[in-house]
Amino acid sequence: MAGADSPSAALRRRDLCTRGIRLVGKMRSDVIDLLDTYVERQGLDASASVAAVEGVPPAAVERWDEQTGTQRLLENLAAYRAFRVLLAQMLEEQREQLGEADAALGRALASVLLQVSAFAYHLEELLQLESRSPPSEEGDGPPPQPHLSLFEQKLRGLGVLRELAQWAVRSARDLRQLAKPSPGTGSAPGLAESP
Amino acid sequence: MFSEWNWVAYGFYLLLNICSLEASGGLVQSCGHIIPESPVLALGSNFTALCILNESCLDFGNIYANQIIWKIKNKVVPKEQYREINRTVSSVTFNDTSSLATPLTCNILADGQIEQNIYGITVTVGLPPEKPKNLSCIVHQVSKLIYRMVCTWNPGRHTFLDTQFRLKYRWPQENFPDCIPKDVNNSCTIPDVHFFVNLEIWVEAANALGKAESDPLVLDPIDIVKPLPPHNLSVSSVLPTVLKLSWVNLITNPVMKLKFNIRYKIIGDTNWMEVPSEDTASPRTSFSVQGLQPYTEYAFSIRCMKEDGVGYWSDWSENKTGITTEDKPSKGPSVWRIIDASHSPDSWTLHLMWKALKPSEANGVILQYELTVRDKSTLSSPVEKYNVTSNNLTLQLPNGTYEVTVVARNRIGASPPSVLLIPASNSKAPVTNLKALPKYDKLWVGWTAPNSYVLKYVIEWCLVSSRSDCIIEWQIALGDVQGMDLKGIKPFKCYLITVYPLYADGQGSGQSVKAYLKQDRPSKGPTVQTKKVGKAEAVLTWNHLTVDEQNGFIRNYTILYKTIDGNETVVTVDPSKTEYTLSSLTSDTLYTVRMMASTDNGSRSGPDFTFTTQKFGKGEIEAIVVPVCLAFLLTVLLGVLFCFNKRDLIKKHIWPIVPDPSKSNIAQWSPQVSAKHNISSKDQMYPEGSFTDVSVVEIEADDKKTFSEQDLKPFDLLKKEKSTSEGHSSGIGGSSCMSSPRQSVSDSDEGETQNTSSTVQYSTVVLNGYRDQTPVQVFSRSESTQPLLDSEERSEDHTGGGDSTPQRQQYFRQNGGQDETSADRPCFERTKQITHANEGDLVGFVQLQISGQSSQPLGFGMEKSTQEAGLSNVFQTSTEGQTVRPETVEENPLSVHEMPKSYLPQTVRQGGYMPQ
Repeated sequence: MAGADSPSAALRRRDLCTRGIRLVGKMRSDVIDLLDTYVERQGLDASASVAAVEGVPPAAVERWDEQTGTQRLLENLAAYRAFRVLLAQMLEEQREQLGEADAALGRALASVLLQVSAFAYHLEELLQLESRSPPSEEGDGPPPQPHLSLFEQKLRGLGVLRELAQWAVRSARDLRQLAKPSPGTGSAPGLAESP
Repeated sequence: MFSEWNWVAYGFYLLLNICSLEASGGLVQSCGHIIPESPVLALGSNFTALCILNESCLDFGNIYANQIIWKIKNKVVPKEQYREINRTVSSVTFNDTSSLATPLTCNILADGQIEQNIYGITVTVGLPPEKPKNLSCIVHQVSKLIYRMVCTWNPGRHTFLDTQFRLKYRWPQENFPDCIPKDVNNSCTIPDVHFFVNLEIWVEAANALGKAESDPLVLDPIDIVKPLPPHNLSVSSVLPTVLKLSWVNLITNPVMKLKFNIRYKIIGDTNWMEVPSEDTASPRTSFSVQGLQPYTEYAFSIRCMKEDGVGYWSDWSENKTGITTEDKPSKGPSVWRIIDASHSPDSWTLHLMWKALKPSEANGVILQYELTVRDKSTLSSPVEKYNVTSNNLTLQLPNGTYEVTVVARNRIGASPPSVLLIPASNSKAPVTNLKALPKYDKLWVGWTAPNSYVLKYVIEWCLVSSRSDCIIEWQIALGDVQGMDLKGIKPFKCYLITVYPLYADGQGSGQSVKAYLKQDRPSKGPTVQTKKVGKAEAVLTWNHLTVDEQNGFIRNYTILYKTIDGNETVVTVDPSKTEYTLSSLTSDTLYTVRMMASTDNGSRSGPDFTFTTQKFGKGEIEAIVVPVCLAFLLTVLLGVLFCFNKRDLIKKHIWPIVPDPSKSNIAQWSPQVSAKHNISSKDQMYPEGSFTDVSVVEIEADDKKTFSEQDLKPFDLLKKEKSTSEGHSSGIGGSSCMSSPRQSVSDSDEGETQNTSSTVQYSTVVLNGYRDQTPVQVFSRSESTQPLLDSEERSEDHTGGGDSTPQRQQYFRQNGGQDETSADRPCFERTKQITHANEGDLVGFVQLQISGQSSQPLGFGMEKSTQEAGLSNVFQTSTEGQTVRPETVEENPLSVHEMPKSYLPQTVRQGGYMPQ
């Protein structure tokens, strides 16, 4: 991790981590608000169980504290690139279904989408600081979805938002771990902090 | 020749038009065009335009480029700027586009000097946009989730062209749509921003002449947020000095951690206090404000910003009020007294008064004051207790030393006691050097402390006014101060300030001073008037202005006086005086005087008063009058003495010596005559129709001696006058109208008329009745003019008024004709009145006329005929009765002529009177 040796790189990484943490914090807050709105507007049950979204790596992972920084960043980047595609798809579906009738829901989805994109940018920056060029988006992202019914689309949207909220929590913990002034390349375990 | 050229030009013009129609396929087609077409030019740059003629026009009209004329807005461009490129192209060059104007036209001067427009273009001159500067952005929180970013910049100079500004922003990997300003060119609002990602922001300005971009601004919008202030602020009371604030933040913790400012103030105050910022530098939703005053209403307000201080403070929230709970009073009330010992020397009326505690001291609602009064003169005297709700207490106490304590009590408890020691007499040392000076808007009172330790000072003051009593206000100052500001002092009012030092064991006597917070000129001037005015001085008096009119300390009075046309004289008078004497005034002169009262801040004059100095000074009149009177008296005295000394001489001149008939020789025959004259009735005196009673005067030789020549002179004069005025009567008895002896001669008619009945008595001479001579009444005919009043009276008695009147008239008639011009009118009128006698009298009258004629000196009778003719008319118009009289008189001429031989006075008439 060449960048770690440079004080400016360390500051840059620290700044990116700090702002990334706050970004995912706000993203989580907005996603939780959006979840309530989404359930209400889509006529869903907030307690409905939704299957795991295909194409999105699960936020929950075993041996989390043993992950390296780069590994964390790559998993986060993969997840958020997937969320970006899914949210863009949800936004398109929402516009097709509701048109301009529910502009507030559309604006909220677009806002979350932007935040996901911004966080993905953060992660790419951090990866560059880790001397790792971010992987191309060619292979990332969820696989093409088969044609789903309207209800299935709604349920899938609910699942995406829930998973995003969980990832927001994990991402904050990952970035805090990365922000710690550990000289290693991320192999050293960081302290677990709740967001 | 000229007409031929016109026809040629007209044909050429038609040809041009035909060419145009043909070239445009039926519409107007010009014979050329300009390159560039409607350019936009930078101001100050150079510019070249080309006019290109169509070949077709060359063939028809022989038009070539050398005939082209360039014009700017109908003004021909100088030919120096032209250049003929070839026979169809002409160019014009402008070194500075600022001289350009629209339109720029290409014209041709055809044969016949006719100018024809070929083409024209519109030239737009402007400036390229400047680089926008000073780009700055702020993110306003609109609601809990919505943030708007407003960016502003300096657009630079005016370009004179339509210039578009665009606010551009992007993430490193994502572009956002441009923000285009509406109606303005220096700001734009981005409706939705996202935090925690650096945003690159810049402004692009573009117009026809170019494009310019500002320096990019890279920032995380979270660092420029101006959040909404916390809302739902509430205040709850915890302790008498603590209030707890609670609120709700409108920005979530994940987005932004906040710090706060809390400010508060007592309701009614204007100044805010702030909770120390370090106490509220962390995120929170409540805070307890401590150190407040009990039972006090406070207003609170709160604001927030990002915890790290990057960004902007929110606006202050709306005020929220809360009241702390009560506490017991923190101090006792200040207490003072006024002692009225005027009623009795042995007892006092003690007015105790204390000030209400300030809210910050009362700490609640004062329910009552508890007083104790202890007589320190006697140890065994009980302590008197009083509970009052007012701020004063009046007690009747015997003269002595007392200790008074006052305690204020509210719902929570009682204050510490305030103690006032009231000694029997203020025997301690007073303050010195007491002075009062205005300082800013307050009156500062300063003093020098006594040598002894002073617990505190009491400063009393009251407004001195002639309209109201001096209402005492007071204030207590601590013993370590030597001055204080008095509050509530009005300007232009006189205050009496007294300072008492309070010792642990007594009081010092009060020292007083008068002071004004601010002085003004007096509201009116003194009214001056004179108390006394002399010849060269005047004593002026005036009354002092009342203290309400003074408006300040009267420093002096100024008296200004002048005459009407003189210069004004100014005299300055000490303000303690009410009288002044003006001296060296001019006598008998009108002076105008007015008086001016002056304070430190100006003067005001009273009304004008005028007075006139006296013409004479005191005693001058006496000095003049007394000598004059004395001189007059002296003159009179001298005159009297002179007259006394020269009385004989004067007597001769004034009272000529009347011949004394008693000393005439006729006295010798008077006894016979007297018996004869002793007649009591006319019948006896005048026997009818006879004039036998003629007296003959014989003058003895001895008697001649009694008449000196001097004595005879007047008679000579009389005789002369009588001789010159014929017809004059004897004039005996003088005239009742004329007192002069001379006149009495000439006017003796009336005298005679008054004694007409005594014609006989006239001849009566009283002998020895003059100068102590034995009066012997004799009767004699006399020419004397001296009145013989006794004889007259007697004759009147004898004859009666009715008889005398006609005779007087008769005499008058005789003399009136002789000296009509000299006759006095009163005499004449009087005569007329007398003629009103009744007809019965006329008989006597006629008779008397006859008798009168007989006794009248007949010298008159000669003139009677002519005189009566003259007077008859007069009397005829008077009364009818009078008309008889002339007839009566006319009957007498014969008797007149009969008398002269025997009547002695005829000789007198002829030769003058000679003593016989």
